[in-house]
This record gives sequence, C-alpha cells and structure tokens, in this order.
Amino acid sequence: MIIVNGRNKLEWVEGMTVQDVMDKMGYDYSLITVTVNNEIVSEDEYDSYKVADASDVKAIHLCHGG
Amino acid sequence: MSSKIKITINNKEIEVKKDSFLLDALRELKIPVPTLCDHKDLTPTGSCRFCLVEIESRGKKKCVTSCNYPVRNEIVVHTNSDRIKKHRKMLAEMYLGRYPNVKVIKEIAMVCGVTESRFKSEITDENPNACVLCGHCVRACHEFTQEDILDFAGRGINRHMTMPFGEVDRHCIGCTSCAHVCPTGAIEIIDDLNHPNDPDMIKNGGMEINAEMATLDKDQCRMREVGTANIVDVMNAYDLLPVRNYRFGCDDETPNIGSKTLKAKYITQKVNDACWKGCSMACAKAVDNFLLRTGPYAGDRVLVDGPEYETAAGAANMGCFDSDFLMEYNFYCDTYGVDTISFATTMAFVMESFEAGQITVKHTGGMELNFGAIDESLELLHQMSRGEGFGKEVGNGIRWLQNKWIKEYGADEKFLMDIGMQVKGLEVSEYVSKESIAQQAGYAMANKGPQHDEAWLIFMDMVNNELPTDEAKAEALYYFPMWRTWFGLHGLCKLPWNDVVPTSNKDEKNTAKVLGHVRNYFRLFEGMTGKTLDEKGMLAQSERVYNLQRVMNILLGFGERKDDIMPYRGVGPVTVVEYESRKERYDTNLKEVIGIDPEGKSIEEKMKIIREYRENAYSNLMDVVYRRKGWTKNGTPTPEHLKKLGIDLPEILKIVEERISTEK
Ligand code: SF4
Ligand code: SF4
Ligand code: FES
Repeated sequence: MIIVNGRNKLEWVEGMTVQDVMDKMGYDYSLITVTVNNEIVSEDEYDSYKVADASDVKAIHLCHGG
Repeated sequence: MSSKIKITINNKEIEVKKDSFLLDALRELKIPVPTLCDHKDLTPTGSCRFCLVEIESRGKKKCVTSCNYPVRNEIVVHTNSDRIKKHRKMLAEMYLGRYPNVKVIKEIAMVCGVTESRFKSEITDENPNACVLCGHCVRACHEFTQEDILDFAGRGINRHMTMPFGEVDRHCIGCTSCAHVCPTGAIEIIDDLNHPNDPDMIKNGGMEINAEMATLDKDQCRMREVGTANIVDVMNAYDLLPVRNYRFGCDDETPNIGSKTLKAKYITQKVNDACWKGCSMACAKAVDNFLLRTGPYAGDRVLVDGPEYETAAGAANMGCFDSDFLMEYNFYCDTYGVDTISFATTMAFVMESFEAGQITVKHTGGMELNFGAIDESLELLHQMSRGEGFGKEVGNGIRWLQNKWIKEYGADEKFLMDIGMQVKGLEVSEYVSKESIAQQAGYAMANKGPQHDEAWLIFMDMVNNELPTDEAKAEALYYFPMWRTWFGLHGLCKLPWNDVVPTSNKDEKNTAKVLGHVRNYFRLFEGMTGKTLDEKGMLAQSERVYNLQRVMNILLGFGERKDDIMPYRGVGPVTVVEYESRKERYDTNLKEVIGIDPEGKSIEEKMKIIREYRENAYSNLMDVVYRRKGWTKNGTPTPEHLKKLGIDLPEILKIVEERISTEK
C-alpha cells in the first residue's frame, strides 16, 4: 500500500513506477511536482523510478489560470 | 517517455537524454567549446560554426555543429581533434579579420589560439560594436515576444540584420529583448519610457519571463498556443468543470468545446491583443471570419476575441456543448458589454429552474429553456441587449430573479437559494467548488463577490491535500487574496506569476507561492519606484486596501458573515441525481471523513448528514479565517486591526464601531 498526497491509498504492485501512480490517480496535469519519500522525481524519470511499498508519494499540482 | 543514450566524449562516457543537444552534454562535462550564435534561452541554429565537433556514428566520421545536433544514437565525440582545431583557427581568423575590435570575437579567437588575422579586407569593420550576425536578436524578437520585426537580408558579404525595407518599423514595441541578447552592443534602444528608477532591473526581470515563455510554456500551460482554453481540458479531467449549473464536474461532450477543437477549428490569431502589446505570454486569442447565425449581425463574418476558459466553461454550465454557439455567445456578450460569466451562470440557473418546474413557458415568454437550449439562449442575449422580454429580466442576474420568482410566482425558496450560484449578488465563476472547502471560502469570502481570482485553492486543498487544518486553510485564505490584491493595486497581470513556472520552483519550500516569480514582481516594483519590497511590505500594502474594501462592503450592505456563505450547490449535492452521479465519493466521504456508515441509509438521509457536516465545517473555518484577518466573528475589521494597518481614520472607525455595537 502506498499513500498519495497523504490521503489516497493505492494498492502497491511489484515494479510500480511513478508513471503508474500518476496513471492510476488520473493525474495528467502539466504542472506537477512529484516527490517520493520527500525526494523530488523529475519528469523524465517517471517511467523508470520505482516506487517502493509503503512509500509516501506526493504529486503537488500547481494552480494556473484564473 | 524519454530514454537515455550512452555516448563517449573525448574517451569519457556520459548518459544523455535522447534528442538533447550535444552541446549540453559537453557543457555538463565542462569540456570547453567556443560558441557565438548559441544562447541558453533561444533555439540553436548552428550558424556561426564555432561549436563544430567531430563524431563517429555507425562507423562514419563527420563534423557537426554541437549546439543543434540532437543525440539520437550512441556516438563517439572528439572535440579537440586536429581537424577541429584547424577548423576553429581558420574560422576565428576570418571573424577576427572582419570584426577586429569586437570584444566577444577577440575572446573567442583567443580561445581558438588566434590573436592576429591574415584576412583583413575592404569588408573589415573596425566598429567595436559591429553586428557579427549571430542572430540572437532575430530569434529573440521571434521567440520571446513573437513580434518578428527583425530578420537578415542580403547574401554573402552583404548579409545584414534589418527591419523590413530597412526602415524603423513602427510595429516594434520597444521591448528591448533584441538589445538584451546582443553580444556586441550593436543594437541601441533609444526610448523614453516612464522614467523608471532602474530600467535594467526591470529589463532583467522581464527577460527572465520572456525566456521562460520561450522555453517552458510549450510543455506547461500552452498559453501561447491555446490561451486559457487549455484549462477546459484540465478541469474536465479533474471533475471540476461546471456542467449543467454546477451539478457535475465533467461531461463526455467536453471535447466539443475543449482546446483541441478550438485550436483546430477556430483560433487564427495567436498574438497579444490590446491587453498589453508585446506581452510574451500572449494568452489572448482571436478567431477570424466567424459567420454569425443570429442577432443584428446575422450573416456577417466577424472577428471573435477569445474564447477564454471561463467563456468556454460557461457553455458547459449551460449544457451547450456546441463550439459555434460558444463563439457566437462570446461575440455577442463582448459586443453588448455583457460579462460571459454572469450570463452563463445566470442562464444555468434559469435552465435548472425551468427543468425543475419552478418557472414555465408562462414566465419565459414562451421559450423552452432546457439545458442545451442554444437558440433560446442566444435569443435571450439579444433581448437583454434590447431591454425586452424575459431576456431583460435575466439580465438582472440571479439574485433579482430569485427574489421575483419567490415573491411573485411562489417558487420554492430553499431550492432556488440552494441552486442560484451567486454570492453578494455576483454570479459565481466557472469552477466546481464542492469538494474543496477552502475554495468555497475563497469564493464566498471574496470581497468583490465569488470570483476565483482572490484565492484559487482547489488543487492545494482537494488534490494536493496541502491544507489539512483550518489554520492552514486560513493562512492560504489570508495570503493569496492579499497577493492577488497586490496585482490589482499595481495594475499588473497575474498570469506571469503562475501560468508559467520556473524549473527551480520544485526546490522551493512552498511551491504554490511560486516565490521565484514573486521576487521578480518585487524587483519590478523596485525598478520602477526605487523602493525595495518584501513579503511583509507587499502584505501591508494589500491589507490596507483589502480592509477598506471590506468597510465598503459593510456600507453597501454585503459585509457580514451571512454574506460570506456559498449557496449549497457549491458545497455539496442539492439533488438526488448529483449524489447518485458521485455516489462512491459521497459514500466514502460519509464513512471515512464523517465517520458514519452509509449502509442502509436512503440518499436523502445521506445528503442531510453530509450537508450538516459540511455547513458546520464551513462555519468553523469562517471563525478561523476571520480571526486570521483581524476581523470579528461577524466579519467586521476591528478598530485595533485598522489602527495596526494605519487606516484608522475617524470616518472608517465610525462605520466599523457602529457595526460592532450591533454584533453579539
Ligand atoms: S525591441 Fe522587441 S519588438 Fe522591437 S525589434 Fe527588438 S525584440 Fe523586436
Ligand atoms: S545585432 Fe547583435 S544580436 Fe543581432 S545579429 Fe548582430 S550581433 Fe547578433
Ligand atoms: S554555437 Fe553552434 S553553430 Fe554557433
């Protein structure tokens, strides 16, 4: 089990990447900062960065518009 | 998706991103390579040829300009082979022969081991500020401000940089980007702006934004490409787009009015409009030759200025997922001077009231006003402008209609007050705030009425969960309205603050504040006025005005606690269909947040529990926010607070003291 944004629980699966987490959460916004256990993951690492079980994942959406 | 490629440079191995430019890898390895035409914020062109290196790719050797050579396969690179050294020397001699006194040329030549040139001739230019044809200015004019005033003309030795027909082009906006990037000082800007205290400070800040727009916007918000219409797609994806009077947050038909459709079918102009000539963000878009179907200009082809996000989202709110309708209502609202948000939100209210039987054709002048009633909506807009019929009544807005229908038609007061999306008499703008209590407060507590431009907190609160406590929410509901007020105070646009975000923002403590850009605005202020500004100073400037606005609200009869509350439609499900459409979300909410098992309860019961819970939570939040703002529980600025802000003038104190004496 991993926790996304301190609130959403996601089933952990072997080999899960940041991109998998983003897909599962439906996060396809263009201004997101991702951290896994407080470490920043850059966008070009999303599909290679492996998320360990019990990780604390944050996908911080910046507001724009308005 | 990106993949990495291993390359070897001067016998050292390095992994680089596919399609990145070779020069970036050289720089990362700190391998010196002379460059002239390359610029960190501009698209490389490979024109000066100083950065030439030798590569071996698939067994073949060749020379390439590293600044614009994209790495696509495993290559071996030599930056210092005899062939390259010879080439550089020759090139340096040629440049030095032509521009013997230009500082950058002398420096590059030195790096190439050249101090004297054999190539002096009749085209030698002794000017130390000679133009060396690097092309920075041409690209800056194109990429930073999209003005395209400069280009090269002539061939061979006659090649030179110029404006069209060799004359000073009156379309040049004097943005100074070209002079800023010129490495030789060949361009001199002669202007007499507003006599700022420190023009360079302003220019440097401006150039930072220019460069970000040129390099980052295409992958971030695409403001240049489609403008704010990009938000339609985002809001639909996050269930935040108001659909059929804010009942739902997305719809299968949204792509009809989404940015792809608008771009493919309509937008013909992608430049800044009269908003601010030369703005490098240029979010304003325009549609040429749009054929109108209705109204006084039916049959004419016109230019439509827009559409912006709110206007497109308004179409969804009316259930009119029709892009031609969007253009037409956009055009006529602009032409008649009607606000598209107020029109769309009022129409959405009228449509729901009609479908719910609160009003009938008897009241609408015979019109069937169901959601999606395109022709009828346009007709009402025309009636509004002529001051006739039901359209005239609609033009008075939701609050007026609620009063009339309740008093004169005996309509259901509670229902109309729940679904009429207005606060303080102003219609709510186009975002669904149901799942974000902070956004509800951002809307309802805004002094001017429910405009999102005081505090747009949906992502911070609902998606990011960055505001877990009432205190954190109250802090955001204090800071952001002050920051947004500050833009208004100085007549500055908000979009360059967070519609493009510097790459370094990831490392900031508080990403939502986009502090890099906040500091940029402060520099702009200092460059203009000569006075330094920091967060504390900014807050002080804004808070004075903000509190005066609140006093104004009190005078006008909209400055109390009861005026800072969102209609329930913006808080939770008013109708059974809303609950059912997001049943899982609400049931989970009951179970996990409220702590009540939804099992075996009717939808009506569940709706009642949620309503009580949410209204209560909102009321608690209001207390904390008022306290943070230095106001009483009824939302009145205290005399002590006004004194602290230095605006305790007798006439103002009188207003708040009178109000406070009636409180409690
Ligand atoms: S001042 Fe700006 S608009 Fe004018 S030529 Fe230079 S870059 Fe282009
Ligand atoms: S004017 Fe300056 S920036 Fe433009 S091509 Fe010449 S040297 Fe380069
Ligand atoms: S710097 Fe690469 S060609 Fe000029």
